[in-house]
Amino acid sequence: MDRLIRHRWIARGAWRSGSAFAVVPAAFLICPAVAAATQGHGGREGLYVHQLSHVFFCISMGILIYWLRTRNLTREPGWRYIGIGAMLFCLWSADAFIVHLLEEQTAIIDVQRIDNWRIRLEAVDGWGWVRPFYYLAKLDHLFCVPALIFFYMGLRRLMSDAAVSGETAS
Amino acid sequence: MILTAAPILLVDVAGSILMIVFSFLCIGHVMKLKRGNPTNLIWTYLLWVCTALAAFAVSRSIGHILKQALLVSGHRQAWSGIAAYSGSVNTFMLTIVAAITLFFERIWNIYGGIMKDQQALRETHDKLVYVNQNLERLVEKRTEALARSEKQMAQADRLASIGQLSAGIAHEINNPLGIILGYTQLLMRGEEKENQRYDDLKTIEKHVRNCKAIVEDLLNFARSSKTKKEMIHIPETVDEILDFIRQHSKLGDVAIDHDYDAEMPSILADEKKIKQVLINLVMNARHAVGTDGTISVMTRYDVGEDQIAITVADTGYGIEEKNLSRIFDPFFTTKSTGEGTGLGLSVSYGIIKNHGGDIDVESAPGQGSRFTIRLPAATREKKRT
Ligand SMILES: Nc1ncnc2c1ncn2[C@@H]1O[C@H](COP(=O)(O)OP(=O)(O)OP(=O)(O)O)[C@@H](O)[C@H]1O
Ligand SMILES: [Mg+2]
Repeated sequence: MDRLIRHRWIARGAWRSGSAFAVVPAAFLICPAVAAATQGHGGREGLYVHQLSHVFFCISMGILIYWLRTRNLTREPGWRYIGIGAMLFCLWSADAFIVHLLEEQTAIIDVQRIDNWRIRLEAVDGWGWVRPFYYLAKLDHLFCVPALIFFYMGLRRLMSDAAVSGETAS
Repeated sequence: MILTAAPILLVDVAGSILMIVFSFLCIGHVMKLKRGNPTNLIWTYLLWVCTALAAFAVSRSIGHILKQALLVSGHRQAWSGIAAYSGSVNTFMLTIVAAITLFFERIWNIYGGIMKDQQALRETHDKLVYVNQNLERLVEKRTEALARSEKQMAQADRLASIGQLSAGIAHEINNPLGIILGYTQLLMRGEEKENQRYDDLKTIEKHVRNCKAIVEDLLNFARSSKTKKEMIHIPETVDEILDFIRQHSKLGDVAIDHDYDAEMPSILADEKKIKQVLINLVMNARHAVGTDGTISVMTRYDVGEDQIAITVADTGYGIEEKNLSRIFDPFFTTKSTGEGTGLGLSVSYGIIKNHGGDIDVESAPGQGSRFTIRLPAATREKKRT
């Protein structure tokens, strides 16, 4: 057991104190040692702020898609690609939100590093089925990298369209 | 459940690198777009989005790569020190990207407004430039038009006062002429037909009648004679007078064309007087073309102005510039005595004016003349009643 590296860290103190909502995230900048851990967002405050930012991100991408559609911009290939990118970002954000939810917020899943190339996934009783799902969700780059690629393609298309309409006088 | 960490590790590191690469490629493209059109607000907006995305990608990817590197190399402690900073910056950048994205609609609307203003400005500018460049020409044109209408007004004025004068004279002469004619006829009754005195009285009667005809014309010109208006159909009237002229004057090689508008409304006018005008115009044209030429009579209906136009054009000798303003004057003639009295056009002018219409002329020496009469159509009056 002592060979196991604790992959996940939970600020047990903050867990119990329930004072999460009163402390600003800045507090974690001042004493990072307390919050220090893996890529988690130390302390409940940090975690909540991070989760909120995912929700916000997801919503604003959704709104962007909505506007692109109502303005009929999705008829232009450039903006359509950007719309698809926004959709993928939306999915990515939801995915990341779920990973944080399972792993940190509810601790349904517990991940432990056995060594560099193996991990142990444990779920609380009755949640065993979540483990493969979690494993896949952990590959969140499969959403955000294509999203960015679509953004890139959209911009490229906008540029060639602008060049055709004679806007870029280069 | 023990699983391999390799896919997660691989996707994490490769994905992180790709994120950075593509976010900077995006910035590069937007920069190019912006350089092409620096005033385009949409490109500025996309530059913000891409910059924020790049900042986010960098903060996140560096965190991820660093984490994997430190953990794999066994520097767990070192990562603990960095993780919180990395995580917070990450959260912060994510929020900023989302916030900027929200501005899309505002920016788009503002951009639309700017484009509309720009368009309006460009149109106004083009108009200004046009007016500026053509100012001289436009002023010249307007000045010409003004001079022309001033000339017309002066002519109308002159003709009006001549009209008043001639109406006065005609009235004063008409009564004595009537008395002379009456007594002459009275004397003729007491004479034998073969008598020399009878012939003398006959001569007096003939000349008094001529005088009366002239006076009648003068009164017509002065518009003081009464008109009997009824609905007439101009093409029929024109046909009648053309028939009359064909029968009563030797036309020789002179051709008379006519061209009537299919939709000619009837007009309210004194048929006898309109006929008189048309005969005057056609006879003038007949005189002008001499032995060989063409006279054409056209009728047109102008729906917009609700008026009809009758044009009598010829290929005759035309009118000299200096005479153009005088041809409507009573007794103005270029014909020898006995050939013309110079009352034809003045009478026509008076009659047309009396009908609320207009008559004008275009002509150049040697190139024929073109007289156009415009009369109000009766359609509107009919609608009103
Ligand atoms: N179609 C025409 N072509 C050329 N000159 C014309 C024409 N119509 C009129 N004129 C000129 O205008 C003058 C005035 O014409 P107007 O009809 O008033 O008198 P007139 O023809 O000379 O005599 P009359 O009283 O017998 O008609 C003419 O003498 C002639 O010089
Ligand atoms: Mg005449």
